[in-house]
Amino acid sequence: MEKIRLGLIGLGYIGKIHFRHCQKLANAKLVAASDLSKKALKIANDAGVKQKYTNYEQLLRSSDIDAVIIALPTHLHTQCAKQAAEAKKHIFLEKPIARSITEAKEIISATRKNNIKLMVGYPLRFNPAFCKVKERIDEGTLGEIEIAHAAYISTGPFMHRAEAHTPLPVPEWWFNKKLTGGGTLIDLGSHLINLLRWYFGEIANIKSHLGYRFNLDFEDSATCIAKFEHGTLAVINVGWFSQGYHLKIDLHGSVRSLSANHSPSNPISTVIQTLTKGYSKFYEGHFIELQHFVNCLIKDRPPSPSGEDGLKDLEIIEQAYKNQIRLD
Amino acid sequence: MRNLQTIGRIILSLVSFVQIKNSNMTKATEDSLYLINYEFPKNIQNVVIKPNLCYYWDFTTGQTTDPKFVAAIIDLARARISPNIHISIVESDASAMKCKYAFKILNYEKLANDCNVKLVNLSEDKNNIVEATAGGQSFRLKVPQTIQNADLKINVPKIKYTMEPIRLTCALKNIFGCNPYSQKFKYHSKLGETIVAINKVMKFDLNIIEGNIVSGIQPRKLGLVMASTDPVAIDTASSEMVGLNPKTIKYLQLAKKEGLGNTTFIPKGEPLEYFKFQYPKKNLQAKLMSKAYTIAVQTGLSKKLGLE
Repeated sequence: MEKIRLGLIGLGYIGKIHFRHCQKLANAKLVAASDLSKKALKIANDAGVKQKYTNYEQLLRSSDIDAVIIALPTHLHTQCAKQAAEAKKHIFLEKPIARSITEAKEIISATRKNNIKLMVGYPLRFNPAFCKVKERIDEGTLGEIEIAHAAYISTGPFMHRAEAHTPLPVPEWWFNKKLTGGGTLIDLGSHLINLLRWYFGEIANIKSHLGYRFNLDFEDSATCIAKFEHGTLAVINVGWFSQGYHLKIDLHGSVRSLSANHSPSNPISTVIQTLTKGYSKFYEGHFIELQHFVNCLIKDRPPSPSGEDGLKDLEIIEQAYKNQIRLD
Repeated sequence: MRNLQTIGRIILSLVSFVQIKNSNMTKATEDSLYLINYEFPKNIQNVVIKPNLCYYWDFTTGQTTDPKFVAAIIDLARARISPNIHISIVESDASAMKCKYAFKILNYEKLANDCNVKLVNLSEDKNNIVEATAGGQSFRLKVPQTIQNADLKINVPKIKYTMEPIRLTCALKNIFGCNPYSQKFKYHSKLGETIVAINKVMKFDLNIIEGNIVSGIQPRKLGLVMASTDPVAIDTASSEMVGLNPKTIKYLQLAKKEGLGNTTFIPKGEPLEYFKFQYPKKNLQAKLMSKAYTIAVQTGLSKKLGLE
């Protein structure tokens, strides 16, 4: 097979990251990009991407595209993914797969019906530090993991935009629970739940405590306690309330404990890494996941995390929203 | 009413420095006003308070005004003027911030309910166009009616480092936030002149700095309240405290030239040096990083590398 021809739908924050990574992928070429904003499409123009659209439906009609990367706000996932499947384009879909279980099932059904490969973007599954942890668990060198702590605390949608040279408002859809499906639990919690399910298997039961520091109608922090079918107990903390960035897991096994974390490099290292490799270490997981998707298309293998994986994460999150505990 | 002293021919404004003790913000504010001989005017109806709500970071970051501090000022104003005065807390939408969310996220909606004051988004207020000049530049500025109709205007800024060439955000810069035009970054090429012009058309009567938590290079509990009726003097004092030479802050010099106040001041209360020592000042690494970022932005490298 020749190079996979990719179309990128959405050039917002995460879309731009995928855009840069597409330039460095082996066996793939970005041939089209779409975004509602002509200004956003300028980076595609500057990089010599020939097909540029302000409507993704036009992109999906192009016969020169094998697969699409969907980097749209969550409420647009279902319609776009279903149309992409109908147009016989393989799909890399940003997490969370959708706002609800119903929507996620619609997406999976459309991809099955059209025999389309679907991968959900969970970069932690490709992050070298967290991959090493998986190896250690599988080797058994930690023994049986009795307790796990996972924490992902960051600014979430409230990131650095005011300090940017051209300040950008937080996109309005982030403030609308109907469009996001929830707050930090679905946004950051989906990352950790997916990672821990990869490590320990399925979750038998989960309860949550949600925080509302920002006085909005969606949670800006959540603490979950999850019991895995094989016995591990995990505490999962997520939050959008901090200016800092903290992503860490601690595992405590019957033989030994192990921790892994992911943190931004300093700006100088970021510049050097971006100039030399095309991406910074911080986004290495994002790059590898995209390369994995392309490799799966070339070798005709099912990519992972799959749509079903994304659906399972949503089921757990919905269970966590239902099983809330109150401590006040 | 400007509280001034003269030494020979030099006019000096009073700037007070008070340490908040036992978390008593009201007492510290009272003391800060006493030290500058400030007395609230009598027989007035409408009071405007302008905190700094630049973004959605709450007061614990040192970047926005603590609503508890604003509540202390409200209590004081009602006690000294009349319990029946109408108080409006004002802010306007900015390039990256919307008041409807900031008021909620930063606990100002709760403050408004608890203290029975009005929250006004100046971007949605009626306004009049006023012409002004500063530094040879001409401006047509929108002056919101809430500001225009106020009998007493109280500025409650934060002290922060900001981008070159402005360098310091404090009393004068906080009034930039009274400009109802939301795309404020469009003024950035002539920001200094704009700040001065806006202060000329919207003169605030009193400046009380909430320095309980300051941002600096990192947040620190400083427990400071500063007050002055002169925005130029209080900004000059603030710049000295944070380790910036006020002479290198061009808009401060322009503000003085345009008659907004004095760059000389008499400190009252606790020594400025005490707070200067405590303030989390920029170190060499931070200065170099700031310079490097400015260069990266100017050359377009930051966009290319996805740093913006």
